Order: sequence, then structure tokens, then C-alpha cells
Amino acid sequence: MTYWPVIAVDAWIGLVLVSIIKVTLILVGGSLGMMFLTWYERRAIAYMQDRRGPNRVGPQGLLQPVSEAIKTMTKEDITPLDADRVVHFLAPVVMLGATVLAFAVIPWGNLFPSSLRVGVLFIFAVTGLHTVGMLMAGWGSNNKFALLGGMRGVAQMVSYEIPLLMALLPIILLSGSLSLTDIVTRQGDWYGFGWYVFSPVGLTAFITFFIAALAEGERTPFDIPEADSEIVAGYLTEYGGMKFAVFYLSNYMTNLALCFIMASLFLGGGNGPGVTALGTVLGGLLSLVYFFIKALALFFLMVLIRGTVPRLRVDQLMGFAWKFLLPIVLVNVFSTAIWVAITRWGPQAQIFTDWFGEPASDNYLRYGVAIVVTLIINLLAVYAVMRINRRQPSDLTEEEIALGLAG
Amino acid sequence: MNYVVLTIFFLLSALTLGSGIMVVTVKNIIHAALWLISTFVGVAALYMLMEAEFLAIVQVLVYAGAVSILVLFAIMLTRQITGTGTRQLHSRWWVAMLTAAALFGGVIVPTVWQQGSSWDKTASDAQAILVQQATEANGGTRPEIIPVAGTEELGAALMGEYLLPFEVVSLLLTAALIGAILIAFEERTRRRRVLTLAEELALRKRGIVEPHDEEGAVVPVDAEQAV
Repeated sequence: MTYWPVIAVDAWIGLVLVSIIKVTLILVGGSLGMMFLTWYERRAIAYMQDRRGPNRVGPQGLLQPVSEAIKTMTKEDITPLDADRVVHFLAPVVMLGATVLAFAVIPWGNLFPSSLRVGVLFIFAVTGLHTVGMLMAGWGSNNKFALLGGMRGVAQMVSYEIPLLMALLPIILLSGSLSLTDIVTRQGDWYGFGWYVFSPVGLTAFITFFIAALAEGERTPFDIPEADSEIVAGYLTEYGGMKFAVFYLSNYMTNLALCFIMASLFLGGGNGPGVTALGTVLGGLLSLVYFFIKALALFFLMVLIRGTVPRLRVDQLMGFAWKFLLPIVLVNVFSTAIWVAITRWGPQAQIFTDWFGEPASDNYLRYGVAIVVTLIINLLAVYAVMRINRRQPSDLTEEEIALGLAG
Repeated sequence: MNYVVLTIFFLLSALTLGSGIMVVTVKNIIHAALWLISTFVGVAALYMLMEAEFLAIVQVLVYAGAVSILVLFAIMLTRQITGTGTRQLHSRWWVAMLTAAALFGGVIVPTVWQQGSSWDKTASDAQAILVQQATEANGGTRPEIIPVAGTEELGAALMGEYLLPFEVVSLLLTAALIGAILIAFEERTRRRRVLTLAEELALRKRGIVEPHDEEGAVVPVDAEQAV
């Protein structure tokens, strides 16, 4: 923790220089990652659909995003005559700014750009500003489709932010910290395999977080704000050229950030077998490799879902968030508390010590009991939520019966 | 006092105050809401300058990210979308200004009176004072842990000392939430999902037509029994 008022001038310049280098690396890395992701997604989805995808520019079409960047930069920059010029211009800036800010704390493997004590909250606070950009784009374009897209987007973001943040609570309970640095380093136990996803509560949190992250990143099946077949391109309708490219950059960088966050919070970040044994430099490189493999696997899962699952309707979207995700996530917080109590509580609950022995990382009886108990609670919760949400034939209205929508 | 900190402080204050003035003076109500977001972010940056990280981030998360979004959403849903030409200033705006000035003075004057000699203390000075106090309380030796109001202390205070107010507020919010759902839901108890145009047409062909009022809104059949 530094207190910069007491730092001498030369140290202060050093701090500024280091920060500038870090920021440049992150920005370049993030943009290159975004370019790679667009190519990766198009190639992957092409193979799923029995096509080839972009494969002409450069080896395997890897330079396709570069040619597209040049294309969008040389396009004419158009603002609609009746649009609110300032708001229309600022909307992509706000979107990209919100995304880039999140990269300030997201770790790359075992490398941490800055160790904010409340890093996890910071990420979701600044990405929450996305919605502001979305509303600005929707309203500033002075276009009905854009406004509809913006409103849809905001409704979706606000609804899914709740399960997203609630799915994080178990991880914070397990690690006892809001700092990403702590969360990642605490998953290094058991030869680098102490990932939180390997516990029933962590798995439930991961699955719910992944679904909510799909909605936050506007991925199919939650790409409702820009549903081309319904509302042209949503809030992007009136944007062309570089502004459109900035929206796309922000969108894909958000997806990249979400993959990085999921890899760090649930899949152990850069932790894996051999990272601690190889020392700082080699181990750090190995951790980067592990990290990118995990993040890319997560992104591949997103592409796989885009290639297979149809888009949800707006009312299904809301119902899913509030009636399905939220109850499961809430029960998961409860069962995480039980997990922590069973695996960690020594003097706080003497009865656990009497039954299962002292809490320790090699006390497998405690972990076994915790796994069984939380698994039962979570499975019961999923079953109950599915049971409640199943529609009875008596729930159908006469309209729906007349339309033959009973199935 | 460090001039860099001072410069940053004045820049942030100018941003916050300027956007605050824009909120109450611009004609376009949506622009006012957008300026409000800028004000919130400026306040968060000021918290950050005081090294109150948690407070700053909660300010962005709750005010800039959620409350202002709801304000914008509500404006867009209730008014005509353009939102231009709204006169914001009341004819007796000076009464409001005097009240605000009096309230601000009521806070700032006693503070300056009491803490006047330490107004230019930075966070590191405050840290030094905390260390000194903790050392005195510990009987002359510097304790290993210096109490700073961080996330853990806030959480412990909310779950310990202030548990009752916390629970009361939660209950109040839950009651408000249930009330809102009841008000919003009453009109839609019969309608389970929004029909597409094709489905409406199919219903009409079969002679099952929804009752509409003059403006075309669907009237629920059992609305009277519900009331």
C-alpha cells in the first residue's frame, strides 16, 4: 500500500512510468485479444456450420481482423441529422471506457496489474456503467429501433446483474477476501488444483455465473438488445464506421474480461500443476499458458452455445433470471455458509470438532461431509425450482389453449 | 500538502460541482440525468482520493450504475421520449438555494470550528494519527494491526453493532418491493404472456377477442373481482 503524498519526485516519476507501461500493455493486449476472439469465433462457428470461415487474409485468415479494422477506420463517419450529437458521440466512449477500466484489476495468470483490496467489486461497478452507454446510444440515435434495443439491453443488464453478483458471494465467502490477488493465490493448494469449481457450491456458483455472464456480455441466447431479426441491430442501428467498431471492441473486450474473471475466480487463474515448483519466471510463464487455455476454453463454450441455442424471448429472459437463477443462487449462498462452517470452524463450533476432528486441509472427513451436505442442498434446490416453475395444465389461459400453446 | 493531490482535488471538485449545476439548469431532462451520473462519478473519485476504496466503488456500483439507470429508465418510460424543453427552475428558486446554503453552512461551519487546524491533512497524515492513537492505546508500543475502517470493519459493524437498524432497513425495502410487485402485477394477473400479432390475429379469427378500452389497452376480465 503506497501513500503517494510522501513519495519523492523521482519515485513519483517512476510510478507514473510503470503505470504508463502497464496501461499500454493492457490496452494492446486487450485489443489484440479482441481481434483474436473475433477471428476465433468466426472460424469456430464456421466449422460448426460446415463452412470454412475467413481463411484468406494471412495464415488461416488470422489477419482478417486487421483488414477489417482498416476498413472500418476508412469508412465515413455518419451522425443522423436529428440525433443528439454529443450523446450519440459519447455513447461508444462510455461503453469502451467502462470495459477498459475493468482490465485495471483483472489478473493475467499470476500477474496482477494492480492489487485493489476490493478488486472484485471494482470490476462489477465499472462494467455496470455499460448500461449508461447503452441507454445513451439508444436514446441519442433518435431512432425507435435503437431506443427499443437500449431499453431491452438495460432491462436485461439490470436483471442479470443480481444473479451475477449473488453468484460471486460464495467465492468471497470461501476465500474471505474481495481482492482478486487473494482469491487467485488461495486456489493454489493441493498441487495447484484447489480451484473453487471443484466443490459443489463452487460448481453451482460457476454455472449460474456463466449463464448470467452470457447475458451481461450480450451473447446468444441473450443477444436480445441487438436481435437483428426483431429490431434491426438494436442500439447499434445508427452507428457506422469507427464508432460501430468501438462498440464491437467494447463488446468483445467485455467477453474477454468475463472469461478472464471466470477463469480467475472459479478455475484457479494461473494455478495448475508445476507453477509453484518452477519458480517465479518460468512458473509465471506457465501460469500464463494455463490461464489462456482456461479462458479460451470458456470462450469456446460461449461460441458453442451461440452455434446451437436459439435466442430467448424477452419475457422468457426475465422469467429465467428471477424465477430460476435467483432462487438457486440464494440457496447456494446458504449452502456455502454451511460448507465454510463444516470445513473451517474449530473453536466456533465444538460439536464439529467432536464429530469430524480438527479443521485442517488434510482432514478429508470434514471435506467429504461438506461435499455430501452441500450437494444434497443444491440438488434439492434445483429440483424444487424446476418443479415450481413447471407449468400445470390448469395454469393455461383459454387463449393459449385456443392457440394450441399447451405444450 | 502535496500540490499534485491538491490539483487533483480541485479538478475533481470542479467536475463534481459543475455537473451538479448542469443537473439543475439544463433544459433537456435526459441530459440532466446524464449529468447526474457524472456528478456521482466525481464524488466517487473524491472518495478514492481519500483512499476510501470500498466507499468509492459502492458509490459507483449503487449510484452511477443502478440508481441513475433507474432514473433514466423511468424518464424514458413515463415521459415523451424527446424530453426537451422542460423548465427546471421554479420561479422561487432562490428559496431552495438559500435552504441548501443554510444546510451546507450548518454542516461546514461546526466542522471548520472544531477541526479547523487540521483541514489540510492527507490520508497519510490521518494514517500517522491513527498509528499514534493506536500506539498510545497499546501502552507505548506500536501494535501490529492498525485499525482502519475497511471492508471488514464495515461488515463487522453492520452485522454486529448496527444489526437492528440494518434488519429494519432490509425489512422496509422488502415491504416496498412486495408493494411495487403487487401494484404492477394486479393488472396482469390474467394475462400470462404477451401474445404476438399473429397470435392475436388467430384469436380474433376464432372469435376470442380481448376486451379493450377506448385507448386500446387490454382490460382484464376479472379486474373488478380483484379490486
